[in-house]
Amino acid sequence: MTATLRMADATLRELLRRRGVLGLLLLVPLVFYLGRYDQTGQAVRFASLGVGFAVSAAALFSTVGGREIEPLLALSGFRPLQLFAGRLLALLAAGLGVSALYAVVVLVGQDLAHPRAVLLELALTTLVAVPLGLLLGAVVPRDMEGALLLISVIGAQMVMDPAKDSAKVLPFWSTREIITYAVDGAGAGSLGSGAAHALGVTLLLMVASGCVTAGRLRRRRHLQFA
Amino acid sequence: MGYSAGAREEFRGTAEPADRKIVLHARGIVKRYRRRRVLTGVDLVVRAGEVAAIVGGNGAGKSTLLKICAGLISPDKGRVTVSGSVGYCPQNAGVMGFLTPGEHFTLFGTGRGLSRRESDRRGRRLAGELDWSPARGVLAKDLSGGTRQKLNVVLSALGDPDLLLLDEPYQGFDRGSYVDFWRSVWAWREAGRAVVVVTHMLNRLDRVDQVLDLTPGKDRGIR
Repeated sequence: MTATLRMADATLRELLRRRGVLGLLLLVPLVFYLGRYDQTGQAVRFASLGVGFAVSAAALFSTVGGREIEPLLALSGFRPLQLFAGRLLALLAAGLGVSALYAVVVLVGQDLAHPRAVLLELALTTLVAVPLGLLLGAVVPRDMEGALLLISVIGAQMVMDPAKDSAKVLPFWSTREIITYAVDGAGAGSLGSGAAHALGVTLLLMVASGCVTAGRLRRRRHLQFA
Repeated sequence: MGYSAGAREEFRGTAEPADRKIVLHARGIVKRYRRRRVLTGVDLVVRAGEVAAIVGGNGAGKSTLLKICAGLISPDKGRVTVSGSVGYCPQNAGVMGFLTPGEHFTLFGTGRGLSRRESDRRGRRLAGELDWSPARGVLAKDLSGGTRQKLNVVLSALGDPDLLLLDEPYQGFDRGSYVDFWRSVWAWREAGRAVVVVTHMLNRLDRVDQVLDLTPGKDRGIR
């Protein structure tokens, strides 16, 4: 547990000290939100997807940035799972901080039918965004490719009709579903199916990113310890 | 192998008994990058209390061999057996730019099972041996290239691993730091650890127990 917490501590410190990047990432949801400020539903959707983008991007950059040091940490005695869990914990903590900030912005600025559902939706968006960024960071060669992929995912999420079944394969489908419930009421969206989708997607992404990390940091077969 | 008998004698350093424990045993290492064969059946045995140097020109496969020995990349053929713990110092990078050296000591020390205080104490002692006193609050990204490399050396040696794999560790070192580095290497050898150093060339200071020359067409391994 100590090793996981130390990894989380180091990741969080490094993330919070990148003030320039962090500031720009925090600006994304605000720009999205202000662009649709006069339409409550759209404003909350855009702000939430902006939070999803910012948190995923932070996770992506953190993962790519850690590629050189993680094998050395594994060699020094860390287990791959400890490195993965430490990074995940740090990013969840930072992401929940961002979502709390935007929850205040949205709740102060908009009139909502179910304000508490927005709190849940922003937390779930963060929960999905962190392992999504971790997975992208683990599979792309550089952060530029990861950022382009992430923009494609968020863009598709914005333009695709959430009523279509195919929209459910997108990771932030739950975000739009719960916001519809929060803004328009129970008849329009479902809190339960949104939450279930978010948890399912989170689980899938966590397992996938954990497996990729474990594979990358695995002990090679040619090496034996006597 | 292009070293004279005198140079061989100079590299040899202190005599080593053959019955010492083998810490690193690499057998028949083959590695290709696409069609280019970089390593063609390389063998290397390093015992406790020995220093081995891997030499050769650019692209000879020195860093590749070291990474294979550390388990960071896989060979196409061959096996590596290590007895004990491993510390690896990369040629460059390998640190988190927005952490201080002290935070690096804590992080790597945790992997070695050391407490925060003990990690910091040992890290600062190793840094002192390289004539470096890490200032508190300075981030790794703000260190000079040579000092960042010293941080890499300290992190690889933290926790006294049985095998130290050092990939051109003294890049950016000034003359004094270079001498300090080799003093540290000899101290590690005296302490019974096995050390492998990748280097472009050996000079009079670099007294080692064996040299593995990866230059194509050269005989391998002088003892």
